[in-house]
Amino acid sequence: MAGERRQGILSKLVDSTGAGLGTKRLCEVCAAVTGMSGAGIMLMSGDVPRGSVCTTDDVSNIIEQLQYDLGEGPCVDAFRQDRPVLEPDLDSPSTPRWLAFRGPAVEAGVRAVFGFPLRVGAVRLGALNLYRDRPGPLTDDQHADALILTDVAAQALLVLQAGATPGKIAATLEVGANFQYVVHQASGMVAAQLDVGVGQALVRLRAHAFGNDRPLAEVAQDVVARRLRFDDRSGERDPVP
Amino acid sequence: MGGLRSTLHGTDLEWAAAKSLLGLGTATWAEVNGAPMPREATLARTFVELADSLVADFDVVELLTRLADRCVDVLDVAAAGIMLVAPEGDLRVIASSSEAMRVLELFELQAQEGPCVDCYRTGQPAVNQDLATVNGRWPLFAAEALGAGFRSVHALPMRLRGTIIGALNLFRIDQGEMTPADVDAAQALADVATIGILQHRGAAEAQVVNEQLNHALNSRVVIEQAKGMVAERESLDMEQAFARLRKHARSHNLRLVDVARDIIAGTMPASALDALAPAKHT
Repeated sequence: MAGERRQGILSKLVDSTGAGLGTKRLCEVCAAVTGMSGAGIMLMSGDVPRGSVCTTDDVSNIIEQLQYDLGEGPCVDAFRQDRPVLEPDLDSPSTPRWLAFRGPAVEAGVRAVFGFPLRVGAVRLGALNLYRDRPGPLTDDQHADALILTDVAAQALLVLQAGATPGKIAATLEVGANFQYVVHQASGMVAAQLDVGVGQALVRLRAHAFGNDRPLAEVAQDVVARRLRFDDRSGERDPVP
Repeated sequence: MGGLRSTLHGTDLEWAAAKSLLGLGTATWAEVNGAPMPREATLARTFVELADSLVADFDVVELLTRLADRCVDVLDVAAAGIMLVAPEGDLRVIASSSEAMRVLELFELQAQEGPCVDCYRTGQPAVNQDLATVNGRWPLFAAEALGAGFRSVHALPMRLRGTIIGALNLFRIDQGEMTPADVDAAQALADVATIGILQHRGAAEAQVVNEQLNHALNSRVVIEQAKGMVAERESLDMEQAFARLRKHARSHNLRLVDVARDIIAGTMPASALDALAPAKHT
């Protein structure tokens, strides 16, 4: 039973054109098998999102970006709690949660969102995010498929990374991934501008993005392009003095 | 719900996935396991129980000890032991159904001679070896085993891709022979032991790869932060800042990530980096 389900999923992953398994296809299969509008895979470590490995569309991209920026959402919870986190009606949830994430996600068109932890045994890698543009719970079938998909996806990520040069991220994992490098570059610049540590600089960047209702990556891009400064020479309105 | 656990219920694709995870190349189910899955109810229960314990953080010695105990229950043998080939090439006892010194010594003796050594060398099962008649072949082992009250010994290979990684060793007190069905069942239990060991290796490998991935991500983050800091302090763009970090690392024979860490920590000012073309720093 579970074996047949897994076999169906694996055959979808391997049939294509014979090209090697890529993360893009992995995400697409996750969305297609569960009948969702879109899917994304987020890497996490130490309870913090590290970046997105793949997304199927703009909306799932926004879902991952919001969680990276805000540190809350279904993937973050699924990873931290090590269990599936299901929100079948994001527009009017039965229990209030994700106060910062919910509004922009609904605005982007998300009506139901589900996070599943990605793990191989005790090794935890991140979370799979599934969303749908209309509300409603997962059926038992969809839920069972999602559990197998996360199992397969987690193992696939490890297989891809296992081929990498030590100290490097596998090139096959970098394709289509967004590890938010611009945010870290901007952190380094802001740290130099304010003469603070990079950790504190990142907090300032996040606060600015949140206070101005802008994506963190966009604010970081402005810093790197030298359109925005955080020191006295700037005219920017940094909400955190 | 790891790949190998599913292979116990066996589909080709799952096996393919498990193989790719464990780097088993093109081994087929039959090559690794050799024997068809048994159908007896008691065995089936044993397999389910063992499969349930094949989660990632299981203790491999505990699992194999339980397996040795099950051999005694299911196969009507007096003692069972699992021997593995050590990296040096000799056989070592890893689990036993009995902690009696006499029995343990019998397993240990087989580092030099006995059915396990034969099984390891030939890759073939060595079953129904009547200790009363094998005196010439294993003088030391046969005498000790008879002295301990055993009448016959059996060894089943633990196979992986044509390589023998160890053997399941069985001792009987009564004279009767093991039936072909018993031998099949014993081989199946030896196969489960092999899977248990592989699963253990797979889990350890997953941990290592995940740590490498996190380490690589962390290194990359530090380098990006250092690029930003150098770019800001030295009025460079990101590409120029990176080139300067890399040149400094190369000419001082340092790792890029270590130079980046020094920059971030402030232990080395950005101005101290080797300049590329006309020096900009004062």
